[in-house]
This record gives sequence, structure tokens and C-alpha cells, in this order.
Amino acid sequence: MTNVYIQGIGMTKFGKFVDQSMKSLLLEASIQALEDAGNPKVDAVFVGNFMGGSISNQEILGAIVANELGLGYVPTAKVEGACASGGIALRQGIMGILSGEYDTVLVAGVEKMKHASTADVTQAINAAMDTDSNEKQAGLTFPGFFGVLANRYFYETEATKEHLAMIAMKNRENALNNPLAQFRKPTTMEEIMEARIITSPLGLFDCSPTTDGAAALIISRKKGGVHIRASAQSSGPTQMQDAADLLSLPAVRESGRLAYEKAGVSPDDIDVVEIHDCFSMTEMLAIEELGFFNKREGWLAIEQGQTKVTGGKPVNTSGGLLSRGHPIGATGIAQIYHLVQQLRGTAPNQVEGARLALAQNLGGTGSYSTVHILERL
Amino acid sequence: MKVYQCAHCEYASVSSKYRCPSCGTGSLQEQEVSSKGSVYSYTDIHIAPAEFAHLAPYTVVLVQLDEAKVKVTVRMNSEVSIGDAVDLDHVENGAYVYTK
Ligand SMILES: [Zn+2]
Repeated sequence: MTNVYIQGIGMTKFGKFVDQSMKSLLLEASIQALEDAGNPKVDAVFVGNFMGGSISNQEILGAIVANELGLGYVPTAKVEGACASGGIALRQGIMGILSGEYDTVLVAGVEKMKHASTADVTQAINAAMDTDSNEKQAGLTFPGFFGVLANRYFYETEATKEHLAMIAMKNRENALNNPLAQFRKPTTMEEIMEARIITSPLGLFDCSPTTDGAAALIISRKKGGVHIRASAQSSGPTQMQDAADLLSLPAVRESGRLAYEKAGVSPDDIDVVEIHDCFSMTEMLAIEELGFFNKREGWLAIEQGQTKVTGGKPVNTSGGLLSRGHPIGATGIAQIYHLVQQLRGTAPNQVEGARLALAQNLGGTGSYSTVHILERL
Repeated sequence: MKVYQCAHCEYASVSSKYRCPSCGTGSLQEQEVSSKGSVYSYTDIHIAPAEFAHLAPYTVVLVQLDEAKVKVTVRMNSEVSIGDAVDLDHVENGAYVYTK
């Protein structure tokens, strides 16, 4: 129990916005969250962002928010944790309130990626690997890591590329109803299966896109809104060749275990889930690591439709990273935005009567993971 | 090939560590083992970062070494299947390049 509450949420549409700067996206989401919370006094700002420095040559995002929004001389910081930057920023905000230092914190996440070339973005994303290693020099990429995992998963189970396609298809179907999602065009299993290969066996639809977008939250010790029942974070191996079990993401497993323990709930109690599906394969492993399904049996749950909106354990009802889009630093906050909507009863793909929600945000090839469990009051 | 073996437990890695990540004690000791191994898993990379774009498509393989409980990430230029026997061809810019 953190006794920290989410009072306001904001999010821009996700997609390609050539006319908008990173700053304008960040401010748009932050203003929405402030207005949603009734414009409270803010004591600190944390901004999740990964490649503002390398791609846009822009840092000091925390101070920019405080200045532009007239928040005064409050402390601010940019938080970097690769694709988990948003989840870690939220956790830093919660820790600041738990320490007694702050009453109310603005937590935001932003990324601007669409203006850069694919080669440059892939290069920048590679900063989320241990680059001082023989592994990086071999040419392993970020998507490549999950390609290697997928081929091994196929070898050890009866899963095939079609099961990965089912995950991509489910998340696309969910995104069709989400007005803020990047991809709202229907697709087919054939189109997904036959799409060009990025890193075998993963094709275009198995990989999250590059995206522009921002999301923001107002969290406070003042009771009301949605309760953050648990906040947990873990680290894991930074190199594929050091994995004790290639088909495990220890940071996901451990952050999940800690979050369930802190919240006093079990995986069975969770009504709706946002998982970090940077790749279809990542969702497959994460639903196992978070205890929703047995190890090496996630593919079976997918086949049975258990993770669809209509299934027993709805996963990524927002469309997930694959179809809602993945503006890296904003993703962890966008997951919370969607789950707060689910708990307010106002979400696209609403899960009837949802009371407990779980968000899992991954950084690097399993280097960081945060899990937050939210509760409707 | 150099590998690093914990003096107190079974942990071993292709890269040295300050402390054993498994038991937290002891020191990792350098050992020389055969570079021979088998394909544990792999991926054919078609979209590469700028610095490797001239090599694409290329195959990255996770090799299970025969003589140590150690896996190594290497690059190859041939089609592979899980279980294939492979060995080191040469070292290039800090990368192990393997062949069947
Ligand atoms: Zn040891």
C-alpha cells in the first residue's frame, strides 16, 4: 500500500507529428493532467525520456515543464531507464511522496522519434544494451535479442510464428477502438504473417513502431481517484549471453513478485493488464513471468484467446506498444493513463467492473522492469 | 577462448565480473577452453543499426560452448539450425565470428 493516489491523467495522440516539438507534446499531456486533477499545487516534476539528448539534442525537460507551466522553483528531473523511463519516473514520484518531501507530483513521459531515420533510431536504441561487450560487437540488436528468444521458444514449445501473429492481431484489434492509438487500420493474419522480416522470426508487425507522443499523471498523497496499491522495480542481466535461462526475464519476474507481495494480491486477482509488448515475443514471456500463465505455456493461453478483452485475463486493451505506439519515455505513463481509464470505467475496450489493474514496463533487453498495481477506490 | 569461472559456485561467463552474480562471493578465475560449441538459438538480422548496416543481412548466434557452462553471442554468415556444431573462425573488432 503506497497511499499515493492518481488524481489526473493526460495523453497526446500517438503517431507521427512532424509539426510538433518534443516540448509541445510534453506540455500538452502535462496541461491535460493538471486540468484533470483540478490544477493543484505541484511540488516536483519527474519526466521519463530516453533519446531526447541523442536524437533531438534536448535535455533539461524537467525544468522546461516547470517554467512553461508556471510551477515555480520546484525540484525537477529527467529520468532515464531506456524503455522503462516512464515507469521509473512514476516510481521516483511515488518515492518522493512516500519520503514526506512532496505532497503532489507531476510525472510525465515523452519521446520524439519520427523525424530521425530508422538506422539512426536503431543506433540510438542500441544505447539500451551493454555496448562495451563482444555481444554488441557481434551486431546483436535490440529486436535481435527477442528474435533469438523467439527461435528458442519455438524449439522448446509447440509455439510457432502464428502465435506471435495472434498477439500482434489482438493488440491491433484493441487499438482500433482507441482514439489515441498510432495504428487504427484493420489488418489480417495473412498480412501479419507475410510482412517483411526485421529479425527472424520477427516481422514488421511483431515489432513496436517508432512514435511521437507524451503522457502525464498527477499523483498525490491526497486521497481520491485511483490508489497506487504497489510500486516495484527490479534489474536484470544486461547481456543475452549471461542469461541463466534464455526464456526468462528475471527483472519482470522479480518486479512482479515484489509488487504482488506489497499489494497483498495474487496474479489471479488482477482484472486488466498493460504489458510491455515492445515485441510480440516480449508479451509472450511477460504473461508467463508475471504469473498469469505457466512457464512455456503462454502460447496456449494466446491460442485460447485468454488475453483478449473478452478473455479471462485481458492484456493490452489499449493496443499495447505494438499498436498504441511506443514513444519510449512516454510508454510507462501511457500504460497508467489507459489503466486509470479502465478503473474509472471510461476506457476504450472497457473491462466490465475492473477493480485491480497491473502495468509492467520493461527497459533494455530485460535490464529494468517496473510493475505498478492500481486499485479502484 | 577465455571464460571466467566462479571459485565458489557453478557460475561461469564469457565476460569477467567484479563479483559472482550468482553467489555474490568469491572471484571469477580466468580459464582457457575450446571455442567449439553448438547453436543454442539465433536470429537473421535484416534491419541493422547504422554501424552494422553494411553487413546486413547477417546472423547472430547464441553458442553453447562444449567445454564450459558458458554461452557466447557470435556473428555468422551462414544459415544455421539449433543444435548445429560451430567453431570460431576469427575475431573481428571485438566480435567472435563463427563458422559451421
Ligand atoms: Zn559464484
